[in-house]
Amino acid sequence: MNAADIQHPQATDQLVEARDLTVRYGAKRAVDGVSFSIPKGRVVGLLGHNGAGKSTLMKALVGLAPTEGALSVLGLDPVKDRVTLLESACYIPDVATLPRWARVGELIRMMSSLHPHFSAERAAALLQRTSVSPRDKVKNLSKGMVVQAHLALIAAIDAKLMILDEPTLGLDVLSRKAFYEMLIDEWCDGERSVLISTHQVEEIESLLSDVLMLNEGKLVLSISLEDMDQRFVALSHDASVAQEMAAAHPLLKYRVGPGPNGNAALFDGPPPASVEALGRRVRPSLVDLFVALTRKPELDRTQF
Amino acid sequence: MQTWDPRQPIYQQLADILAAQLLDGEPTEGTAMPSVRALAGRYLLNPLTVNRALQALGDEGLLESRRGMGLYVRAGARERLKAVERQRFLETEWPRLRERLRRLGIAPAQLNWEERA
Repeated sequence: MNAADIQHPQATDQLVEARDLTVRYGAKRAVDGVSFSIPKGRVVGLLGHNGAGKSTLMKALVGLAPTEGALSVLGLDPVKDRVTLLESACYIPDVATLPRWARVGELIRMMSSLHPHFSAERAAALLQRTSVSPRDKVKNLSKGMVVQAHLALIAAIDAKLMILDEPTLGLDVLSRKAFYEMLIDEWCDGERSVLISTHQVEEIESLLSDVLMLNEGKLVLSISLEDMDQRFVALSHDASVAQEMAAAHPLLKYRVGPGPNGNAALFDGPPPASVEALGRRVRPSLVDLFVALTRKPELDRTQF
Repeated sequence: MQTWDPRQPIYQQLADILAAQLLDGEPTEGTAMPSVRALAGRYLLNPLTVNRALQALGDEGLLESRRGMGLYVRAGARERLKAVERQRFLETEWPRLRERLRRLGIAPAQLNWEERA
């Protein structure tokens, strides 16, 4: 497929279309020929190790990195139409901060005057969900409260796409839960989509509708969770049949729990029938798949 | 955070949780179910998964959709759930329990039916 084949988003319901997208930093390809699309109404997880290219890809989507290949976001060219794009997409970068001296209420007023699609009433309503008051100064808020306030501000923009780069980094479990609760409850309406990167794969797996997996700039997996459950087969089995399992060359061998049948083997596609009979099908976990698909080659030899 | 059993589809597990709540009268018959988004937020699930769970409960005749108002708990939902639970107890749990009682040599007369815990 080439650039000319990309259709207008209204026609395809695709919010993002990337074809053979590359971002170079000098000689290094931080993002290396990735192709994917994000339809409307999805919760897409962007997974990868540090340095895999997640932040760079997100920057490219909002026109903050020069790209090669074809990229359309909300039907726009992120570099050429950046101002228009930022009016209808929300982005919280991994280095995001709110001005420490400001009161949250002042930030709401500031956003109102700066952003054409921002609703101060909605921001105030979203803030009500949190323990943050408009009178609070940013510098007096805990880290979790700052992130909640930030999400309240961003989610008050009437947009189709939200891009969140490691929004829950450094937050405790309750703050993370509150963050995701607000995101799902207030943002995901079946029309809008969110692209979210995190290292807490286990925690967000059940939230996601799709996953994009980056490894050293390359897209190693782009799949819906539903298709993932179909394509990848995990078999839990007893240690006594571990040799037979290993002989079938699974993608990964791992533990799913204590006791008998605590071992598991992950296969890409259906395993041989003889092997399938030795185990019991379980849902493949995203974190195990992530480990299997993004292992460094040099670890291969030593680990197994 | 909620953990989900990898041996069962998540939507099925959510449907079981919601059914158990319905059996306890939460929410009561004739009242509205929480919205998909509220449930998705509470259980940190993708809204599509929540939809499938609600669909499953609807298919069992426990919920009804009221035009423009969302899903409501049907009249008789608790009775229906109780009937299903009774059936399950009599078919799967009771034979196992009876077998155990026999093995332990416990006679019906020794079982105290009246006293409440």
